[in-house]
Amino acid sequence: MTAASVTTRASALRRWSWLQGPRMTGSPAVLPSVLGLPVLLWQAVFFAAPLVFLVVVTFWQVKAFRLEPAFVLDNWSRILFSATFQRALVHTFAVAGTTTLLAVALAFPAAYTIAFRLSPRRRDLAVAFLVVPVFSSYMLRIYAWQIVLSPEGMINALLGLTGIGPLPLLGGAFSLQIGLLTLTLPIAVLILVFAMAGIDRTLVEAAENLGCRRARVIMHVVAPSVRPAIALAATTSFLLAFGDYISPLFMTGSKPPTLSILIVDTVKSGSQWPRASVIGVAMLVMLALVLGIGQWLSSGRATRREGAR
Amino acid sequence: MNRILATRLSRLAQYSFLGLLFAFIATPMLVIVVFSFDANRFPTIPWGGFSLEWHRAILADSMIRDAFVNSMLVGGGTAVLSTLLGFAAAYLDFRYRFRLKLGFVLLVAVPPAVPATILGMAMLAFLSRIGLFGRLETIMACHVAIATSFSMAIIRLRLNDLSRDLEPAAWNLGASPAAALFHVVIPFCRPALIASFFLSAAVSFDEFLIAWFVGGVHETLPVRILNLLQGQVNPKINAIGAVVLVVSVALVLLAQRFTGVRAGRRNPAP
Repeated sequence: MTAASVTTRASALRRWSWLQGPRMTGSPAVLPSVLGLPVLLWQAVFFAAPLVFLVVVTFWQVKAFRLEPAFVLDNWSRILFSATFQRALVHTFAVAGTTTLLAVALAFPAAYTIAFRLSPRRRDLAVAFLVVPVFSSYMLRIYAWQIVLSPEGMINALLGLTGIGPLPLLGGAFSLQIGLLTLTLPIAVLILVFAMAGIDRTLVEAAENLGCRRARVIMHVVAPSVRPAIALAATTSFLLAFGDYISPLFMTGSKPPTLSILIVDTVKSGSQWPRASVIGVAMLVMLALVLGIGQWLSSGRATRREGAR
Repeated sequence: MNRILATRLSRLAQYSFLGLLFAFIATPMLVIVVFSFDANRFPTIPWGGFSLEWHRAILADSMIRDAFVNSMLVGGGTAVLSTLLGFAAAYLDFRYRFRLKLGFVLLVAVPPAVPATILGMAMLAFLSRIGLFGRLETIMACHVAIATSFSMAIIRLRLNDLSRDLEPAAWNLGASPAAALFHVVIPFCRPALIASFFLSAAVSFDEFLIAWFVGGVHETLPVRILNLLQGQVNPKINAIGAVVLVVSVALVLLAQRFTGVRAGRRNPAP
């Protein structure tokens, strides 16, 4: 008897066991409810409800600095048609798009080297090294870049020794991308390393035996097998860069503002909660669209290939 | 001959590129730690000499001490609660089939994907209306809502390795579902539970936007740093930064120590 059929029988037994009466303590639904309800309640109160409320607030009004329930579309029209919002939207898309391209372009060769060139031990070390920055001290690392890149900072001090005048490294698109890559690059590399390490080596060997050069192996074996991971790395990078607050704040001094900066500024100035919420909801809708398109691109292509075979 | 040379050059280019990328990731962390011992007020080259002045200064700063204690409380509470909730969610996903299961899993999994600015604002707007604004417990509750996602992922990965027949075997031997859970599943998951504990502590210890929005007067350490950063250049920042960095890196490394996640399969299943 296979393991699978045992499992099916066991689950069938479990489903009908309430008919058998006293063999079990209480009904079989007790344990899952005891485990599930706290999780459900917690996520409902501290995650889902705030987001739902965010949508509700977009229709409310602020009167004399107090938030009052209402149903007006004024907030939506004011924000969506304002030049500030539109400029910030275009800017944020351009910035996040650039980060996404850079992150994937830089992460791919690095992940390839880690997955195919390093020994298993070194590969584990590299993965361990890359996991650390994903979960630690993002804000501090941006601050570190700020002092490295500033006019009196380390790079300019070193350049000064060679006679090259202080370069305006901080406060532009360059420093902003440095900051956002600090955020996105480790995750993008990790996603691609895990995908590439999972590639069946016999495929690569087969291609080599058939006379493929490295470049062709990468183009025709590696890249197609990790296409979903490339899409995941790209959408994750976009998501992080699109919503980031710290890099725009410290690397460009919020000029020009991104949507996240705009949200915080709108909340701070005159407690315009409804309008800030409009920006937030708009951002979430756009992120969902981008994620959906990313999914569709990666899976759609894969199925078309399957169909062509 | 030419081809060997080309291969060597290509390998060299690959390793150099990887080295540069790792340097890019490591530089900011090294800068923080190294310059926290610098006597200069503004961290730059040349190095101003070794000094523990700024480390002493943060020990004397009561706001920083309070923030540190707050961070510890919030991080510890988050670690315990999100490990418990994450285990419950992972086990339900592993063992049971129920209606709207995808919705349940997404409810736990999605929060880290929502930009913290938006989530922080939403949490502040909603929680202040139900009277939970400006409390340490609120920061913790919000951190749990995010960290549970990571806990569930780690524990669910471990449960993948648990034989599906083990629990039915325990039931056949007369164990109740709860007894099987405590004597079979939880011991099996222990490394993942420990990893989840440290990782969710790290997530909480590193989070600042939500803590900044919902915390009110209660500052956690990253919020204190954020507020210091928005003021003048302050050499204390490097010293606190070094402390925070060491704590959070240690937490992540501890978490990694207990997860068996590896890139690529070393021992393929027979």
